[in-house]
Amino acid sequence: MEVLASGKGVYRTPDPDGHREWVRTHKSRELKSKVMTAKEAVEKFVSDGDYLGYDLNIHKRGPAALMHEIIRQKKKDLWVAVRFSGMDPAILIAGGCVSRIDIGWFIQSGTCSRAIQEGLIKVTEWTNGAVVYRELAGAMGLPFLPLRYIGGTDTFEQSGAKLIKDPFTGQEICLVPALNLDVAVVHVHQCDEFGNARIFGSGLSPMETCSCAKKLIISTEEVVSSDEIRRRPQLTTVPYYMVDAVVNVPFGTYPGAMPGLYGSDPEHMIEMMMADRMGTMDAYLEKWVYAFESHAEMLDKLVGARKLIQLMQAETFREGYRA
Amino acid sequence: MSETINFTTTESLLINVANLIENNKYYWVAIGGSPMMAMMLARKTLAPRAYYVVEDGTICPDPLEYVPFLSGASGAAEYRAVAWKDMNTVGFHCAMGYYDYGILDCLQVDMYGNINSTFIGGSYEHPERRFGGPGGANEIASMCWQTIFMADQEKRKYPRRVDFISSPGYLDGSPRARERAGLPANTGPYRVVSEIAMFGFDEETHMMKLLAIAPWVTLDDLLVEMEFEPLIADPLEKLPPPTEQQLTVLRAEIDPGGRVLGQGTWIEYTPED
Repeated sequence: MEVLASGKGVYRTPDPDGHREWVRTHKSRELKSKVMTAKEAVEKFVSDGDYLGYDLNIHKRGPAALMHEIIRQKKKDLWVAVRFSGMDPAILIAGGCVSRIDIGWFIQSGTCSRAIQEGLIKVTEWTNGAVVYRELAGAMGLPFLPLRYIGGTDTFEQSGAKLIKDPFTGQEICLVPALNLDVAVVHVHQCDEFGNARIFGSGLSPMETCSCAKKLIISTEEVVSSDEIRRRPQLTTVPYYMVDAVVNVPFGTYPGAMPGLYGSDPEHMIEMMMADRMGTMDAYLEKWVYAFESHAEMLDKLVGARKLIQLMQAETFREGYRA
Repeated sequence: MSETINFTTTESLLINVANLIENNKYYWVAIGGSPMMAMMLARKTLAPRAYYVVEDGTICPDPLEYVPFLSGASGAAEYRAVAWKDMNTVGFHCAMGYYDYGILDCLQVDMYGNINSTFIGGSYEHPERRFGGPGGANEIASMCWQTIFMADQEKRKYPRRVDFISSPGYLDGSPRARERAGLPANTGPYRVVSEIAMFGFDEETHMMKLLAIAPWVTLDDLLVEMEFEPLIADPLEKLPPPTEQQLTVLRAEIDPGGRVLGQGTWIEYTPED
């Protein structure tokens, strides 16, 4: 296969056989309870230096509780696949957790921009679609996939993509390398104790992100019975054998919105954005993360039931978000 | 004598884009920004049967109001969609040719319709100002049949050559440049829209071409707000001024708080009879 051009961005060399071996030896097929606390799950399944991914962002159905726990445990040297993100890379960077990012897109953020401009974190350019497409390749057990975008641009030059001559048609086409994350953290609406998980509403890449990871931590708004899962199998987004930990965290995406259940907290969002802009993320993290043992304790002491009920009332769109 | 109307540059930009939107066409619009506002304006006025998708996988929704990305999109933006899918599915449908137009807001657009959302000033390794990257704009600009770009008419936004091609226009403008880079055939930039101008692209040279200009500015007013001189259509058309209906829908239904609309500068215009 003739390679016509190669981006010079750093990427992890795909290793589908290595991933298969990992699955063979590490992923239990047993239907056993994986329920544990966020603290236990992050201690057990997130290591310094891991390649981390997550579905959606801290504004909507992001795994906020799990991200906070990663920050609380001061995980370091993470390589984070950033796409369609909000302030989530900013808080992970401010928490000192990140050494490298893939950029699909990050929201305008002083923390992110400064970290890149000052060379504190390393960067590989991609696009939103290319990152989730690389996860799809990883989720298919393949080393790469062809795609009809990214080519011709400076984004391509700074990515790990290649332009080749298609051996079937003789036409030019780009390839991107598969991405198998070390660890994915994903927040869902419902999950049983084994990890069979349901997500309602538009996702970004729930199936791909969950499937491509070596280790998968699911946090869920509620733990439902396995009978309930088996009554409506069509609704299962992720089957249990991909899941390593099930963390029961109601309001687990706070301060973000959980479609169909509760809205985001606008006051908190403004506080987070201002902390980013003013360069006071340390104080923000101290107030919202380090000061507490858990997400539940933070909700209890800093948010309160009255506010949480208001956020539930604010989500007036309920159609389609329940089984 | 006609009545004087007042509107902001932001309103004018949104209206110029909305006037391009057609019934029974499918649009991929950037999520939660001005492209979405232009789409909502069109759907509430001239093009109620224009349909759209956003990159998180919300296919053909019918939201009641404009939902800014930052307010935590949530259920409001997904309301009454025909399908809730994911980003890869949207990419597949675009790659197959289902999406007629993309609409993108951009930081910089150059003479060949290349757009930059990565950095400005300095070098890639040492940027003066770093931005968020292409996001989904690269997919949109690569694979939709035609792409509409929105950019305020400011010199720094219309450079001869962008500092970094985040998402593709006609690249170096040469024949088949996009196809040679692996992009789908017969795609590319269609219009660039500002608050005072509408541009297309020359079929041969792929250079940006001024098609129409707002009646309240002169050609010189426009050209000082561009780093390069575009080709100029002959005859050069006049853009229609905002209608009362468009302004009412924008102000009363789409952005009642004026959070977005109020950001522009005010224009006072009296149409000639």
